[in-house]
Amino acid sequence: MKAVLQIALGIIAAIGGFVDIGDLVFNSQAGAVFGYELMWAVPIGVLGIGLYAEMCGRVAAVTKRPVFDVIRMRLGLTTGLIVLVASLFVNLLTVAAEIGGVGLLLQLFFDAPFTLFALLGALALATIIWFVPFEGLERLFGYAGLALFVFVAAALYLGPDWHSVARGFVPEAKSSTLYWYFVVGLVAAALMPYEVYFYSSGAVEERWGPGDLRVNRLNAVIGYGIGGLLSLGIMVSAAQLFAPAGVSPDHLGTVPLLAQVPFGETGLLLALLGMLFAIGGAAVDASFAGAYSIAQFAGWEWGKYRRASGAPRFTLAWLLFFALGLIVLMTGIDPLDLTEYSVVLSVVALPLTYLPVLLIARDRTFMGDHVNGAIAGSLGWVYFVVLVVVAVVAIPLLLATNAGAG
Amino acid sequence: MDERFDLVYRLLDDQLVDVDGRRCGRVDDVELTGAAGEPLVVTGLLTGRGAYAARLPARWRRLARALFGRDVRGSTARRVPWTEVSDVGVTVALRRRAADLGLDGDDWRPLDRVPGG
Repeated sequence: MKAVLQIALGIIAAIGGFVDIGDLVFNSQAGAVFGYELMWAVPIGVLGIGLYAEMCGRVAAVTKRPVFDVIRMRLGLTTGLIVLVASLFVNLLTVAAEIGGVGLLLQLFFDAPFTLFALLGALALATIIWFVPFEGLERLFGYAGLALFVFVAAALYLGPDWHSVARGFVPEAKSSTLYWYFVVGLVAAALMPYEVYFYSSGAVEERWGPGDLRVNRLNAVIGYGIGGLLSLGIMVSAAQLFAPAGVSPDHLGTVPLLAQVPFGETGLLLALLGMLFAIGGAAVDASFAGAYSIAQFAGWEWGKYRRASGAPRFTLAWLLFFALGLIVLMTGIDPLDLTEYSVVLSVVALPLTYLPVLLIARDRTFMGDHVNGAIAGSLGWVYFVVLVVVAVVAIPLLLATNAGAG
Repeated sequence: MDERFDLVYRLLDDQLVDVDGRRCGRVDDVELTGAAGEPLVVTGLLTGRGAYAARLPARWRRLARALFGRDVRGSTARRVPWTEVSDVGVTVALRRRAADLGLDGDDWRPLDRVPGG
């Protein structure tokens, strides 16, 4: 039972990071536009984030160094500063997008202006973070986000064409730039760097030691496994409902229909609840990730476990992220556009956040016997190459497809 | 400690932790004392944003000074005598409390009186 409770960190990191507004948008659109054809991109992202998160968690448990600590130490001041600026920028876009997502969902319930709900959503989240301890946050957002399983149920209930599903796991060499834009988007949405900033810092918040490595492995497998399953559920149900009808979900409120069509009101409510908590959880993760990054780069005291008064600069940093995120939203940018930009730009910053972790995970001076094994080591380098390729093609594809608008 | 000690690998940019286990800055620069042809001895560590500019590429320095502040000893950059360092391991451990060494950034506590947190 203890192990079950402990994998909450993996679940919140996976739900509120893996399945956040970025995944909801990219997976439902991929299903709507390309049917089952892009399913293969999901396991690539899932394996990548699972591998990376396991390494980060292991490094954090053994050395007590979360990711940005490692970045500063391994890449030094100059490169570290570049990564910091890039990460903070992308993080801010992400926080704004997630708060926007919460606002859009709340707006479905009541008839009032979007900005009011974005403000209320941000205030509610900040209040929850302020009063609820770290472990409580994980459980609240992680477990409530599990309501998203309604999309998996919908995908199965609608009876997909299993032949097409199986074919969807085989990549095709298509010449369509939109197709490749979605591949990049799906992989990037799975591998958002804020997830590992949050996850590895969370391991320190929970005072993990080498004895927690098994929980770490379970987290990586089960947490991200669930995340991948939910993503596939959304894509497959969109392939069945949206693709034949020619519906393109360019409003977040369209996504819950995937559960409403098969399961009626109950399905709709479960979908909305799951989305609200998954996106809200991601807003928490992303704002914390930003605060962790600054604090770890500068060497400030940080962590929810220190309480607000014990880590004042860290606390002000995450509050500031919420405030700045709201300001970004107030400019009137569409939250879904923000989401696509935050996902695609984050992948550009990814190789530089991934490399230092890979370097320290194989360094016996710091890791002792817990260095990367043969599999984690070689897969780690394979993924590094994949990430560099994805990072290089991301922005050209974003521009060529006008952010997926064709 | 080993006989060979790689300053950049083991010391530079690492986390400073005081005797109570509180994080209190990073090793933003290392102070060496000596002269050419003579032994160089580590005499202190510098920590604080004021130390950033000198370590960045020349063309960024002006911007860095504007962003992070100039190197004002005792204010934007603080010196920790090497004798105050008790251990260099996963972190750089100090012998005394951060406040006693002038590293009191997180002792600024505007949030003390707010309930919760």
